[in-house]
Amino acid sequence: MHELSMADAIVKTVLDAAEKNQAEEILEVTIEIGKLTMLNPEQLRFLLGVLTEDTLLEGAEIIIEEIPVEIKCHSCNYAGSTNLDDSDHYLMIVKCPECDERNLEIIAGQECNVKNIRIEKPE
Amino acid sequence: MHKIAEVEIQHDIMLANKKLAQRNQRMLDKAGVFTVDVLGAIGSGKTSLIEILIQKMDHKIGVIAGDVISKFDAGRFQKYNIPVIGLNTGKECHLDAHLVEHAFEDLPLEEIDLLFIENVGNLICPVDFELGSHMRMVVVSVTEGDDTVEKHPLIFKDADLVVINKIDIAEAVGADEEKMASDARKLNPDVEVIKSSLKTGEGVKEIIKAIGDFMD
Repeated sequence: MHELSMADAIVKTVLDAAEKNQAEEILEVTIEIGKLTMLNPEQLRFLLGVLTEDTLLEGAEIIIEEIPVEIKCHSCNYAGSTNLDDSDHYLMIVKCPECDERNLEIIAGQECNVKNIRIEKPE
Repeated sequence: MHKIAEVEIQHDIMLANKKLAQRNQRMLDKAGVFTVDVLGAIGSGKTSLIEILIQKMDHKIGVIAGDVISKFDAGRFQKYNIPVIGLNTGKECHLDAHLVEHAFEDLPLEEIDLLFIENVGNLICPVDFELGSHMRMVVVSVTEGDDTVEKHPLIFKDADLVVINKIDIAEAVGADEEKMASDARKLNPDVEVIKSSLKTGEGVKEIIKAIGDFMD
Protein backbone atom coordinates (compact mmCIF):
# COMPACT_ATOMS: atom_id res chain seq x y z
CA MET A 1 0.00 0.00 0.00
CA HIS A 2 2.96 2.31 0.26
CA GLU A 3 4.33 1.59 -3.19
CA LEU A 4 4.47 5.30 -4.07
CA SER A 5 6.87 6.23 -1.29
CA MET A 6 8.96 3.13 -1.97
CA ALA A 7 9.07 3.85 -5.70
CA ASP A 8 10.13 7.40 -4.91
CA ALA A 9 12.94 6.18 -2.63
CA ILE A 10 14.08 3.67 -5.27
CA VAL A 11 14.19 6.34 -7.99
CA LYS A 12 16.22 8.68 -5.78
CA THR A 13 18.66 5.89 -4.85
CA VAL A 14 19.16 4.88 -8.47
CA LEU A 15 19.54 8.42 -9.85
CA ASP A 16 22.02 9.24 -7.11
CA ALA A 17 24.14 6.17 -7.92
CA ALA A 18 23.88 6.87 -11.64
CA GLU A 19 25.12 10.41 -11.18
CA LYS A 20 28.04 9.31 -9.01
CA ASN A 21 29.06 6.87 -11.71
CA GLN A 22 28.73 9.38 -14.58
CA ALA A 23 25.99 7.35 -16.23
CA GLU A 24 24.69 8.73 -19.50
CA GLU A 25 22.00 6.12 -19.69
CA ILE A 26 20.52 3.62 -17.29
CA LEU A 27 19.77 0.37 -19.07
CA GLU A 28 18.59 -1.85 -16.25
CA VAL A 29 17.71 -1.71 -12.57
CA THR A 30 17.45 -4.79 -10.34
CA ILE A 31 15.36 -4.52 -7.20
CA GLU A 32 14.88 -7.27 -4.62
CA ILE A 33 11.56 -7.37 -2.77
CA GLY A 34 10.97 -9.58 0.25
CA LYS A 35 7.92 -11.80 -0.02
CA LEU A 36 6.62 -10.55 3.31
CA THR A 37 6.78 -6.82 2.57
CA MET A 38 3.50 -5.06 2.06
CA LEU A 39 4.53 -4.19 -1.49
CA ASN A 40 2.84 -5.34 -4.64
CA PRO A 41 5.51 -5.69 -7.36
CA GLU A 42 3.11 -4.84 -10.18
CA GLN A 43 1.97 -1.62 -8.53
CA LEU A 44 5.58 -0.78 -7.78
CA ARG A 45 6.51 -1.33 -11.43
CA PHE A 46 3.66 0.91 -12.59
CA LEU A 47 4.63 3.72 -10.22
CA LEU A 48 8.30 3.46 -11.17
CA GLY A 49 7.19 3.97 -14.75
CA VAL A 50 5.29 7.12 -13.79
CA LEU A 51 8.03 8.58 -11.58
CA THR A 52 10.86 7.98 -14.03
CA GLU A 53 9.34 9.96 -16.88
CA ASP A 54 11.80 12.60 -18.11
CA THR A 55 14.61 11.23 -15.94
CA LEU A 56 17.71 9.24 -16.80
CA LEU A 57 15.77 6.20 -15.66
CA GLU A 58 13.04 6.54 -18.24
CA GLY A 59 12.81 3.41 -20.35
CA ALA A 60 15.23 1.37 -18.24
CA GLU A 61 14.35 -2.25 -17.76
CA ILE A 62 13.10 -2.86 -14.23
CA ILE A 63 13.89 -6.32 -12.91
CA ILE A 64 12.12 -7.28 -9.70
CA GLU A 65 13.44 -10.34 -7.88
CA GLU A 66 11.55 -11.88 -5.00
CA ILE A 67 13.41 -12.70 -1.79
CA PRO A 68 11.88 -15.78 -0.16
CA VAL A 69 10.98 -15.94 3.50
CA GLU A 70 13.45 -17.42 5.95
CA ILE A 71 12.83 -18.01 9.60
CA LYS A 72 14.80 -18.93 12.68
CA CYS A 73 13.13 -21.15 15.23
CA HIS A 74 14.00 -20.36 18.82
CA SER A 75 12.78 -23.78 19.96
CA CYS A 76 14.91 -26.11 17.79
CA ASN A 77 17.37 -23.57 16.30
CA TYR A 78 16.35 -24.41 12.75
CA ALA A 79 17.20 -21.57 10.38
CA GLY A 80 16.27 -21.47 6.75
CA SER A 81 13.36 -21.61 4.39
CA THR A 82 9.92 -22.18 5.73
CA ASN A 83 6.57 -23.81 5.03
CA LEU A 84 5.29 -22.82 1.66
CA ASP A 85 1.65 -23.53 1.32
CA ASP A 86 -0.22 -21.22 -0.99
CA SER A 87 -3.55 -22.07 0.59
CA ASP A 88 -2.36 -20.60 3.88
CA HIS A 89 0.08 -17.88 2.96
CA TYR A 90 1.02 -17.06 6.54
CA LEU A 91 1.62 -20.60 7.77
CA MET A 92 5.26 -19.91 6.99
CA ILE A 93 5.62 -17.38 9.79
CA VAL A 94 3.51 -19.31 12.25
CA LYS A 95 4.97 -22.81 12.45
CA CYS A 96 8.51 -24.14 12.29
CA PRO A 97 8.79 -26.68 9.43
CA GLU A 98 11.09 -28.83 11.58
CA CYS A 99 9.49 -28.97 15.02
CA ASP A 100 6.05 -27.37 14.55
CA GLU A 101 6.73 -24.88 17.35
CA ARG A 102 5.61 -21.29 16.98
CA ASN A 103 8.52 -19.41 18.47
CA LEU A 104 9.80 -17.99 15.18
CA GLU A 105 11.78 -14.99 14.12
CA ILE A 106 11.67 -13.78 10.53
CA ILE A 107 15.21 -13.41 9.21
CA ALA A 108 14.56 -12.76 5.52
CA GLY A 109 11.67 -11.68 3.36
CA GLN A 110 11.18 -8.10 4.55
CA GLU A 111 13.61 -6.31 2.23
CA CYS A 112 13.25 -3.65 -0.43
CA ASN A 113 16.75 -3.63 -1.81
CA VAL A 114 18.02 -1.66 -4.79
CA LYS A 115 20.56 -4.28 -5.84
CA ASN A 116 22.35 -2.94 -8.88
CA ILE A 117 22.07 -0.97 -12.10
CA ARG A 118 23.49 -1.42 -15.56
CA ILE A 119 24.55 1.86 -17.09
CA GLU A 120 26.18 3.31 -20.13
CA LYS A 121 29.04 5.66 -19.36
CA PRO A 122 31.93 7.34 -21.21
CA GLU A 123 35.11 5.30 -21.61
CA MET B 1 33.15 5.83 -26.92
CA HIS B 2 30.82 4.40 -24.34
CA LYS B 3 30.99 1.36 -22.19
CA ILE B 4 28.41 -0.61 -20.33
CA ALA B 5 29.04 -0.96 -16.59
CA GLU B 6 27.27 -2.74 -13.80
CA VAL B 7 27.12 -0.77 -10.56
CA GLU B 8 26.42 -2.51 -7.27
CA ILE B 9 24.14 -0.42 -5.08
CA GLN B 10 22.78 -2.78 -2.39
CA HIS B 11 20.70 -0.12 -0.70
CA ASP B 12 17.87 -1.65 1.29
CA ILE B 13 15.25 1.00 1.85
CA MET B 14 13.64 -1.02 4.64
CA LEU B 15 17.01 -1.30 6.35
CA ALA B 16 17.58 2.44 5.98
CA ASN B 17 14.33 3.03 7.88
CA LYS B 18 15.34 0.46 10.48
CA LYS B 19 18.65 2.21 11.09
CA LEU B 20 16.87 5.54 11.52
CA ALA B 21 14.47 3.85 13.95
CA GLN B 22 17.42 2.59 15.99
CA ARG B 23 18.81 6.13 16.07
CA ASN B 24 15.42 7.39 17.28
CA GLN B 25 15.42 4.80 20.03
CA ARG B 26 18.90 5.80 21.18
CA MET B 27 17.71 9.41 21.36
CA LEU B 28 14.65 8.36 23.39
CA ASP B 29 16.79 6.23 25.71
CA LYS B 30 19.13 9.13 26.29
CA ALA B 31 16.18 11.37 27.15
CA GLY B 32 14.68 8.64 29.37
CA VAL B 33 11.42 8.52 27.41
CA PHE B 34 9.67 5.14 27.14
CA THR B 35 7.82 5.05 23.84
CA VAL B 36 4.78 3.08 22.74
CA ASP B 37 3.78 2.82 19.07
CA VAL B 38 -0.02 2.55 19.01
CA LEU B 39 -1.28 0.70 15.95
CA GLY B 40 -4.68 -0.37 14.73
CA ALA B 41 -7.34 0.17 12.10
CA ILE B 42 -9.37 3.32 11.67
CA GLY B 43 -11.97 3.45 14.43
CA SER B 44 -10.46 0.68 16.56
CA GLY B 45 -10.18 3.02 19.56
CA LYS B 46 -6.53 4.11 19.47
CA THR B 47 -7.21 7.78 20.18
CA SER B 48 -9.79 7.02 22.89
CA LEU B 49 -7.41 4.62 24.61
CA ILE B 50 -4.56 7.15 24.60
CA GLU B 51 -6.94 9.77 26.03
CA ILE B 52 -7.82 7.42 28.89
CA LEU B 53 -4.16 6.57 29.51
CA ILE B 54 -3.25 10.27 29.63
CA GLN B 55 -5.83 10.73 32.38
CA LYS B 56 -5.18 7.56 34.35
CA MET B 57 -1.46 6.91 34.13
CA ASP B 58 0.83 8.53 36.61
CA HIS B 59 3.44 9.69 34.10
CA LYS B 60 4.51 12.79 32.26
CA ILE B 61 2.97 11.85 28.93
CA GLY B 62 3.48 13.26 25.45
CA VAL B 63 1.81 12.23 22.19
CA ILE B 64 2.77 12.22 18.55
CA ALA B 65 -0.51 12.01 16.65
CA GLY B 66 0.04 10.69 13.16
CA ASP B 67 -2.75 10.80 10.63
CA VAL B 68 -3.41 11.78 7.06
CA ILE B 69 -4.77 14.97 8.63
CA SER B 70 -3.59 14.99 12.21
CA LYS B 71 -5.35 18.06 13.60
CA PHE B 72 -8.45 16.13 14.67
CA ASP B 73 -6.71 13.64 16.93
CA ALA B 74 -4.06 16.14 18.04
CA GLY B 75 -6.88 18.46 19.10
CA ARG B 76 -8.35 15.73 21.29
CA PHE B 77 -5.03 15.27 23.10
CA GLN B 78 -4.30 18.98 23.48
CA LYS B 79 -7.28 19.30 25.84
CA TYR B 80 -5.16 17.59 28.50
CA ASN B 81 -2.42 20.24 28.39
CA ILE B 82 0.34 17.84 27.51
CA PRO B 83 2.96 18.09 24.76
CA VAL B 84 1.32 17.00 21.49
CA ILE B 85 2.78 16.97 18.00
CA GLY B 86 0.48 16.40 15.03
CA LEU B 87 2.19 14.61 12.17
CA ASN B 88 0.44 14.95 8.84
CA THR B 89 1.30 12.12 6.50
CA GLY B 90 -0.81 13.55 3.67
CA LYS B 91 -1.20 10.73 1.20
CA GLU B 92 0.90 8.26 3.14
CA CYS B 93 -0.60 5.30 4.89
CA HIS B 94 1.95 4.96 7.69
CA LEU B 95 4.46 6.84 9.81
CA ASP B 96 8.14 6.19 9.22
CA ALA B 97 11.23 6.72 11.33
CA HIS B 98 12.21 9.83 9.42
CA LEU B 99 8.89 11.59 10.10
CA VAL B 100 9.11 10.68 13.77
CA GLU B 101 12.67 11.97 13.99
CA HIS B 102 11.41 15.34 12.75
CA ALA B 103 8.63 15.34 15.34
CA PHE B 104 11.28 15.04 18.06
CA GLU B 105 12.60 18.45 17.01
CA ASP B 106 9.40 20.04 18.27
CA LEU B 107 8.65 17.73 21.17
CA PRO B 108 10.06 18.74 24.59
CA LEU B 109 11.46 15.29 25.40
CA GLU B 110 12.92 16.55 28.68
CA GLU B 111 9.40 17.27 29.94
CA ILE B 112 8.03 13.76 29.43
CA ASP B 113 8.83 10.18 30.42
CA LEU B 114 6.20 8.32 28.41
CA LEU B 115 5.47 8.94 24.76
CA PHE B 116 2.63 7.50 22.73
CA ILE B 117 3.00 7.56 18.95
CA GLU B 118 -0.39 7.08 17.38
CA ASN B 119 0.19 5.60 13.96
CA VAL B 120 -2.06 6.08 10.94
CA GLY B 121 -5.17 3.87 11.12
CA ASN B 122 -4.01 0.87 9.13
CA LEU B 123 -3.18 -2.76 9.86
CA ILE B 124 -0.99 -3.25 6.80
CA CYS B 125 1.58 -0.59 5.98
CA PRO B 126 2.93 0.29 9.45
CA VAL B 127 4.27 -3.28 9.65
CA ASP B 128 7.10 -2.38 7.29
CA PHE B 129 8.23 0.66 9.27
CA GLU B 130 9.74 0.57 12.72
CA LEU B 131 9.75 3.96 14.40
CA GLY B 132 12.14 3.44 17.29
CA SER B 133 9.53 2.74 19.95
CA HIS B 134 10.16 0.38 22.88
CA MET B 135 6.77 -1.30 22.67
CA ARG B 136 4.19 -1.94 19.97
CA MET B 137 0.55 -1.98 21.07
CA VAL B 138 -2.08 -3.06 18.55
CA VAL B 139 -5.70 -2.10 19.18
CA VAL B 140 -8.29 -4.16 17.30
CA SER B 141 -12.02 -3.88 17.84
CA VAL B 142 -14.63 -6.61 17.56
CA THR B 143 -16.51 -4.45 15.06
CA GLU B 144 -13.78 -5.10 12.51
CA GLY B 145 -14.86 -8.74 12.43
CA ASP B 146 -13.40 -11.63 14.39
CA ASP B 147 -11.28 -12.77 11.45
CA THR B 148 -9.28 -9.52 11.48
CA VAL B 149 -6.38 -10.92 13.52
CA GLU B 150 -5.82 -13.95 11.31
CA LYS B 151 -6.14 -11.80 8.20
CA HIS B 152 -3.35 -9.46 9.32
CA PRO B 153 -0.84 -11.78 10.94
CA LEU B 154 2.32 -9.72 10.56
CA ILE B 155 1.17 -6.77 12.66
CA PHE B 156 0.08 -9.12 15.43
CA LYS B 157 3.25 -11.18 15.21
CA ASP B 158 5.31 -8.08 15.96
CA ALA B 159 3.07 -6.75 18.75
CA ASP B 160 4.02 -6.64 22.43
CA LEU B 161 0.46 -5.99 23.59
CA VAL B 162 -2.81 -6.67 21.79
CA VAL B 163 -5.95 -4.90 22.99
CA ILE B 164 -9.23 -6.39 21.77
CA ASN B 165 -11.60 -3.50 22.16
CA LYS B 166 -15.37 -2.88 22.19
CA ILE B 167 -16.11 -6.30 23.67
CA ASP B 168 -19.33 -4.85 25.18
CA ILE B 169 -20.85 -5.00 21.69
CA ALA B 170 -19.26 -8.24 20.50
CA GLU B 171 -22.55 -10.10 20.64
CA ALA B 172 -24.42 -7.37 18.78
CA VAL B 173 -21.94 -7.50 15.90
CA GLY B 174 -21.68 -11.28 15.98
CA ALA B 175 -17.97 -11.39 16.81
CA ASP B 176 -16.17 -13.90 18.99
CA GLU B 177 -13.54 -12.02 21.00
CA GLU B 178 -12.10 -15.29 22.31
CA LYS B 179 -11.30 -16.34 18.76
CA MET B 180 -9.50 -13.03 18.18
CA ALA B 181 -7.47 -13.51 21.36
CA SER B 182 -6.58 -17.08 20.46
CA ASP B 183 -5.59 -16.07 16.90
CA ALA B 184 -3.23 -13.43 18.34
CA ARG B 185 -1.63 -15.96 20.69
CA LYS B 186 -1.29 -18.46 17.87
CA LEU B 187 0.72 -15.94 15.86
CA ASN B 188 2.67 -14.60 18.79
CA PRO B 189 2.91 -17.03 21.72
CA ASP B 190 4.44 -14.50 24.14
CA VAL B 191 2.09 -11.61 23.46
CA GLU B 192 -0.12 -10.22 26.18
CA VAL B 193 -3.75 -10.00 25.06
CA ILE B 194 -6.25 -7.83 26.95
CA LYS B 195 -9.96 -7.65 26.20
CA SER B 196 -11.38 -4.23 26.81
CA SER B 197 -14.30 -1.91 26.51
CA LEU B 198 -13.21 1.68 26.70
CA LYS B 199 -16.87 2.57 27.11
CA THR B 200 -17.39 0.55 30.29
CA GLY B 201 -13.77 0.77 31.45
CA GLU B 202 -13.24 -2.97 31.35
CA GLY B 203 -9.62 -3.93 30.78
CA VAL B 204 -8.20 -0.44 31.25
CA LYS B 205 -6.46 -1.30 34.54
CA GLU B 206 -4.86 -4.32 32.89
CA ILE B 207 -3.64 -2.24 29.96
CA ILE B 208 -2.05 0.28 32.34
CA LYS B 209 -0.40 -2.55 34.24
CA ALA B 210 0.88 -4.19 31.06
CA ILE B 211 2.50 -0.95 29.87
CA GLY B 212 3.92 -0.38 33.36
CA ASP B 213 5.37 -3.89 33.45
CA PHE B 214 6.97 -3.33 30.08
CA MET B 215 8.54 -0.07 31.26
CA ASP B 216 10.20 -1.78 34.23
